[in-house]
Amino acid sequence: MATTELPLPALPEAHHEEPGGIVDYLTTVDHKKIGILYIFTAFAVFLAGGVLALVVRWELASPGLQAMGENTYNQVFTMHGTLMIFLFAAQVTTGLGNYLVPLQIGAADVAFPRANAMSYWLYLFGVLIVVSSFFVAGGPAAVAWTAYAPLSTREYFQGTGMDLWIIGLAVVGVAGILGAVNLVTTIFRMRMPGMTMFRMPLFTWGVLVNQLLILFAFPALTVVFALLFLERNFGAQFFDPTYGGSPILFQHIFWFFGHPEVYIIILPIFGIINEVIPVFSRKPLFGYRAMVFAFFGIAALSFGVWAHHMFATGLVYLPYFSIMSLLIAVPTGIKVFNWIGTMWRGSITLSTAMLMSLGFIVVFLIGGITGIFLASPPIDFAVNDTYYVVAHFHYIMVGGLLYGMFAGFYFWFPKFTGRLLSERLGRWHFATFFIGFNLTFFFQFLVGLDGMPRRIADYEIERWTSANVLSTVGAFLTGVSVLIFIWNFWVSIRRGKRAGDDPWEGNSLEWVTSSPPPSHNFHHLPEVHSERPAFDYRHRGDPELAPVKTDPERDPDRG
Amino acid sequence: MLVAAGCTPQSVTEEGRAVYGLYNLFLYIAAVVFVVVSGLVIWSVIRYRRRDDELPKQTHGNNRLELTWTLIPTVIVLVLFVFTMQAQNKVLDQSGDADVNITATAFQWSWRFAYEGTGAEVVGSPESIPEMVVPVGQTIRVKLLSADVVHSFYVPQTLFKRQAIPGTENLFDLTFEKTGLFHGQCTQFCGLQHPDMVFRVRVVSQGEYQSWLAAETRRGAAGQPGT
Ligand SMILES: [Cu+2]
Ligand SMILES: [Cu+2]
Repeated sequence: MATTELPLPALPEAHHEEPGGIVDYLTTVDHKKIGILYIFTAFAVFLAGGVLALVVRWELASPGLQAMGENTYNQVFTMHGTLMIFLFAAQVTTGLGNYLVPLQIGAADVAFPRANAMSYWLYLFGVLIVVSSFFVAGGPAAVAWTAYAPLSTREYFQGTGMDLWIIGLAVVGVAGILGAVNLVTTIFRMRMPGMTMFRMPLFTWGVLVNQLLILFAFPALTVVFALLFLERNFGAQFFDPTYGGSPILFQHIFWFFGHPEVYIIILPIFGIINEVIPVFSRKPLFGYRAMVFAFFGIAALSFGVWAHHMFATGLVYLPYFSIMSLLIAVPTGIKVFNWIGTMWRGSITLSTAMLMSLGFIVVFLIGGITGIFLASPPIDFAVNDTYYVVAHFHYIMVGGLLYGMFAGFYFWFPKFTGRLLSERLGRWHFATFFIGFNLTFFFQFLVGLDGMPRRIADYEIERWTSANVLSTVGAFLTGVSVLIFIWNFWVSIRRGKRAGDDPWEGNSLEWVTSSPPPSHNFHHLPEVHSERPAFDYRHRGDPELAPVKTDPERDPDRG
Repeated sequence: MLVAAGCTPQSVTEEGRAVYGLYNLFLYIAAVVFVVVSGLVIWSVIRYRRRDDELPKQTHGNNRLELTWTLIPTVIVLVLFVFTMQAQNKVLDQSGDADVNITATAFQWSWRFAYEGTGAEVVGSPESIPEMVVPVGQTIRVKLLSADVVHSFYVPQTLFKRQAIPGTENLFDLTFEKTGLFHGQCTQFCGLQHPDMVFRVRVVSQGEYQSWLAAETRRGAAGQPGT
């Protein structure tokens, strides 16, 4: 067996306990269990946010007010956006990163296991604070997830719900920063010998760049919430023009966080796709380095484009923000073409993870292309704040995020549990999701072009009805697809096929260890000589395939 | 599929025509890109399905190819940027003098349209939809204000909108080329009755506009004791 000495840190007590049990999960500092906690919590938030989305679609299926009053509707769509963007999207991938990054770089744990645990518990605490706003007088915030001042100041929106919203999200922001410090340090400092930066799996790269973005973007969020809290509760006048304050300031700080947030959400997803497509094409990732540079290109550009959300204010310098936004198409295009290059002349298996990845490419393409439209100020003037924008960012967020997330779930579930998710149910899940999703959001482009504004409980124009009905039907079909997934999870975790250590012939180190991995991750580690250590290990002794012959007798530290 | 997304409403203003043309240019290029890329995806999935256990050739990349597909999108977006700037200059051009100056004030939850230098004023409420009456073929300069929170002035068939921001004066021109009654609405979420912030733009002939303005000015003067 080819093994190297593990770069083991001093292992905290919890590592030696047997897995399982509630007390164990409450006290754990094991990155894998914390990852699972993140994923479950985020998924619960996703289900709640999804139910709110269905409520929105129910109300919009016909003109007029049917199911609820305007205030309830405003609360529902505000909390839908809040749950999905602030409390689910970035955290579910943080969960996957928590579980997988140490495995992928051959580490026994993360750099700061206790800070990591604290980050999770702060996140949960923040979620509970936000959710508690449903139970206070006046109910939760109803100012849209962007909470533009002065609408969100006390003069225009009273109620404790809004303050709980600010406090809860600020806590979640701090949790994100703490988690990012841990994951970034882990990736820089905990890689096993031989695991150079340019041999790291692309998922780990995606998480690294995503966590770096969190480090730079979340502080802006903390700032804007701190200012808003002071404005609401202590009479500060940051956003009130009569005292020299500025409503536009709020938008600038908010979107300085808000645009990078899109890439915080999507970069780890790119990472998942980068792992899944090579495995099911049985080829190395095409253009590894270009993929890494594209990550950094996207990350760098993402801090220079925020005001494309503010073209309609008439108060930003349009040419600069337009060209910067358009240029994001270049690194994104590189990614898409490199995925095709990976599949080209490959040997493709259409597993559910692969189907989800292909679905990802198609819907992300539509989301990306319509993003180009929105980077053009004159077109943005026409469609900004209409359903066109709603459709666009749901193609990125629901399309991009969810297809990639489910691809990751089907891909790594066997590693997490030792059992495979059912591929038969997986196909049903994919089919219903693909049809339901496109039905929901494609027609929103059309009704948006026709001028239907977003965030309205009621519309008076009859010809918008048909698109809204289709959208609602699609949303409920998407709901069914999620139920199929939950059912799949439920039966597979009990009776699913045994997976073995490496059901897909994976490339990265997590496929070398057992499923689920032992508490310290590896009993033995192969040497790392390329970006596909598990592949090399599987083909060891074959001089054609493994770039360096791994010799079991050789000094393990030769690196 | 994307071609179906082409149903932008025809614009009713001179400024909007530039946007309409630009949108269609984007749409044609987008359709080509979408068909080519998704075609390649579908083709490779069908053509390269796994048939046996033999490992395909393990290629790691191709610098020339990768450079090509870096340069092509770069050129496309630069071209789109040039056309964007041309259209933008037309949409935002305010070099000429305006024929009609209107101060539009957004408030929770309706609109006030004041006709500068005439005393004519139209004020709406969530229950009564206000109408902004303007002459066809003339340059209307709107000075957009907000009395409380951020709103957004949007008439879909002008293919234009602009935020009304408290403490800020936002100016833009609209030159209607067609008479008719057009739907307008606030698009920036502004609180409880945001969906009720509807207004209309009534575009009429020069003569009709003059008589409407005269009647409205008289009414304004009569309605305000002391003037
Ligand atoms: Cu953005
Ligand atoms: Cu409004």
